[in-house]
Amino acid sequence: MTKSVTLSVKDGKIREAVNSFLKELFNKKTIDAMLVPLAHPAGTNVVQALVTKAVFVDKADVFAPVMPVNSARLIQSITRLTTVDRKTAVVLRPCEMRALIELAKLKQVQLDKLVLIGIDCPGAYAVNNYPKFAAEKKSDDFVKAGFQWAEDTMLRTGCQICEYPYPLTADITIGMLGLDPSKQILIQANSAQGEEILSKAGMSLEIDSDLAQKRQTAITKFAGEIKERRKEFFEKTKREIGGIEKLSKVFAQCIKCQNCRQACPVCYCRECFFISPTFELDADRYLRQAEKKGALRMPSDTLLFHLTRMNHMGNSCVGCGACEEACPNDIPLLKIFQLAGSEVQELFSYVPGRSLEESLPATAFKEKEFEQIGEK
Amino acid sequence: MKRKIGVYLCHCGSNIAGYLDVAKAADYAATLPYVVVARHYSFMCSDPGQDMIKKDIKELGLNGVLVCSCSPTLHLRTFRAACAEAGLNPHLCEMATIRELSSWVHSHDRVAATEKAMALIAAGVKRVLYRNPLEAKWAPVNPNTLIVGGGIAGIQTALEIASAGEKVYLVEKEPSIGGRMAQLGKTFPDLDSTEELLIPRMEMVKTSPNIELLTYSEIAEIGGYIGNFKTTINKKARCVDETKCNGCGECWAKCPVEVPSEFDYGMRKRKAIYIPFSKAVPKIPVIDRKNCKYFIDGSCKACESVCPTKAIDFKQEDKKIEIDAGACIISTGYDTFDPSPITQLGYGKIDNVVTSPEFERMLNPDGPTGGKIVMKNGATPKSVAIAHCVGSRDQNYHQYCSRVCCMYSLKYARLIKQQLGADTNVYQMYIDMRCFGKGHEEFYKQASEEGVNFIRGKIGQISTETITDEEKGKLVVVCEDSLLGSMIRVPVDMVVLSVAMKPRADTADISRAFLLGRSADGFFLERHPKLDPVGTMLDGIFAVGCCHGPKDIGDTVAQATGAAARALELISKGRVDIESATAFVDEEVCAGCGVCESICAYSAIEVNPKTKLAKVNEAICKGCGACAATCPSKAMQLKNFTHKQLIDVIDEATKDFAGLAK
Repeated sequence: MTKSVTLSVKDGKIREAVNSFLKELFNKKTIDAMLVPLAHPAGTNVVQALVTKAVFVDKADVFAPVMPVNSARLIQSITRLTTVDRKTAVVLRPCEMRALIELAKLKQVQLDKLVLIGIDCPGAYAVNNYPKFAAEKKSDDFVKAGFQWAEDTMLRTGCQICEYPYPLTADITIGMLGLDPSKQILIQANSAQGEEILSKAGMSLEIDSDLAQKRQTAITKFAGEIKERRKEFFEKTKREIGGIEKLSKVFAQCIKCQNCRQACPVCYCRECFFISPTFELDADRYLRQAEKKGALRMPSDTLLFHLTRMNHMGNSCVGCGACEEACPNDIPLLKIFQLAGSEVQELFSYVPGRSLEESLPATAFKEKEFEQIGEK
Repeated sequence: MKRKIGVYLCHCGSNIAGYLDVAKAADYAATLPYVVVARHYSFMCSDPGQDMIKKDIKELGLNGVLVCSCSPTLHLRTFRAACAEAGLNPHLCEMATIRELSSWVHSHDRVAATEKAMALIAAGVKRVLYRNPLEAKWAPVNPNTLIVGGGIAGIQTALEIASAGEKVYLVEKEPSIGGRMAQLGKTFPDLDSTEELLIPRMEMVKTSPNIELLTYSEIAEIGGYIGNFKTTINKKARCVDETKCNGCGECWAKCPVEVPSEFDYGMRKRKAIYIPFSKAVPKIPVIDRKNCKYFIDGSCKACESVCPTKAIDFKQEDKKIEIDAGACIISTGYDTFDPSPITQLGYGKIDNVVTSPEFERMLNPDGPTGGKIVMKNGATPKSVAIAHCVGSRDQNYHQYCSRVCCMYSLKYARLIKQQLGADTNVYQMYIDMRCFGKGHEEFYKQASEEGVNFIRGKIGQISTETITDEEKGKLVVVCEDSLLGSMIRVPVDMVVLSVAMKPRADTADISRAFLLGRSADGFFLERHPKLDPVGTMLDGIFAVGCCHGPKDIGDTVAQATGAAARALELISKGRVDIESATAFVDEEVCAGCGVCESICAYSAIEVNPKTKLAKVNEAICKGCGACAATCPSKAMQLKNFTHKQLIDVIDEATKDFAGLAK
């Protein structure tokens, strides 16, 4: 049974309560640094920042409904070559944490000395849309409104069909599922490290089976609903984009800027195959390719680029939607990747980011697998 | 370097020339860039054909050769050797398979077959164009051989290699060598005593100066590659000093603990300090630490007190031994099927229903009954039924035939009649009699003539419920006589279940450790069922005996001798050729994700945790290309099969060839 404690929220000031908790982690010297979303002074964005002084935590706004980049990518930048040498907490949305776990399996991040703090996430708006929200409302209002996937049409598509809005591999969870966040926020220790840090921070942890039960009930209820919603969504998507003709229609507006792969947290190659010498064709090759068909779409291999990316990354797609948000022409990449991704993931009974122990389907050989195909 | 490519089309008699226009295809080849000569000839693989290539290399200064003929599996080696003889790096020679991929499959359409051949030739020329000369590589061979499993297969291999003067490490997990054969009574079809056949060979193993015997030991780890395997053996603590013990037997005579003997399938007891059977090699006991009173509560040291050589060592610990070897022979044997799940046979519930291994122990003069066939109450049976195919040829258990049961069941019949008198009734309940070996059919005929009853049918039930007076006090075997088409009831005193041979319980572990493949039946997979039944998919590792599939002693020894020859071949050559077209890493691009590492079937790739770069061990790499296919950024590539090359080749092959052959 996990141990937890609740933060009481005074006058509905959720952000303040969470920030004072995060600050306490600094003050009690349980951590030395923190990657945490801070409100940008411009008021139009909330961005991840690597903080080493507690005072900056006052600016934190972890529930603000915007995710400019998937933070797994940031942690990759920090830890790919070397581990952090002091305890660094990273405050992540569930999809960011799942991407982080995928990157860890791919040896692109090193989790040593990292403390994973996950939040229950009611979703986010596109960076473009956030200023509209921020002009009228605060993140506390957003949290109090609760989980609004079906109703809030401004939410990013990925958030609307999010399967896991709660962290799966956190050391510490900042939770609201199953309780009223305007009154209290859950702080849960999900690992030995999490428990140690919370105790050191002076929090009196206990096993609250009532609270745990409420949370579990909320999660179970949600899981049932989202399953239906995803099914509906995928069926609709199939009608919209199924088959090569419809698919090429969807990609008609693609300019092959490759922003999608730049934004994708699990697309980890140092040099994408599509910018490698293999795709540096000489004039003769271009002309010969054109000759074959009579007309060659330029830039060439646009659809191949997307299909290859899907082939490489479909299994690890966590559905964060960073690709779709990065697309300058609003190609519904999240839809396409989630549709294909969820189907292959199901074939391998694989949930990306569920556990570090679960090996990537391409890298694990199981004697009994895919018995419907080939030799038994 | 200006490329000069020669293209040679083979007629293959009429195999190719009969179905496509070789002259036209050759004319087309001559128009391709860099092609300086294109010829066609009746048999390129013949001496005049090869000489044609050699002459052109010398006279025209070719630096690339494309032979368009059969498949590379058949003749790539031939043509590369010819090129090498003429002084051209063999890796600059390629083949285009216009026989299997064109003339044979499009024999009905001459024009289409010719056009496809042109496509294959065009793509082939591109392949040659991209090829680079590679250096032939080799590694020295360690002359030691490691043999895992000391049954008759391992013993035979060890003796063959040792008698050739080479060093052998024979590792056996049990306290003694001998394996399953040591448990048997007599062999078929000659009814020789297994003891007389086996024990002298076990003694030879013990005395051979070239064999280092490691009993009560298991493989802990294995690494390396053909010619250079590095293994770690875990030598379990015997708690008896092997250098001091003289095998006098005082200790096991004195030991107060009695537990069922595994070797005798629990039919008699052994002590907590024991040798598995009286002729064990080495004749050095082990202490069973689970049951020994000293290890349970420290209450007994009887063995230590009687040991005249002070060989007992309670403090002994497991020891790791490192062994380097050039070849590994896997001879881990088989397990027997436990028939208890087939509840209608009553095994384990009804007295005098025994399995074939148990019956073998009964027939062994050194066995629990001193070689006497007896029932549980000590009386001799007057009638015995023998059930064939118990767990074999059975959809629910093992689909395969265990190959030896028909013969040993006949052997039982004849031995029963020999020992208990010709009037003893013996019934064989069989599906098909499979007596295909040398002297086997004759053996079957002899059993028939001796009055053994053959009933074609599977046993439906063995029961103690009797109906008639004749059945009273007997086991009733209910079965269908499929030749008569009716159910029959056969009252007997004893039933022997001829149980299936199945893969050892630890086969999966061994297969993982040695990276051996397994066939659908669970046994180790040979490299080729006809042409390499001894080799495995891993060079330098051979699987022999029943770990490869059910077989009798004769077949096992034949296979073992074959494996010994293969190991000696390696040793006498002294070096192994290593694949030159290995994988390589573009370090500028490699992200160190390790997907290649985990997918490599040969463990040839490692990601350096510091540099975050994958590194290929070229001595182990087989050039299969799995890594190159998996690497998303294509940092991993295969020499002479680079991605740019492959894409170019595909491009070339998918050009428009329509109309060229008309």
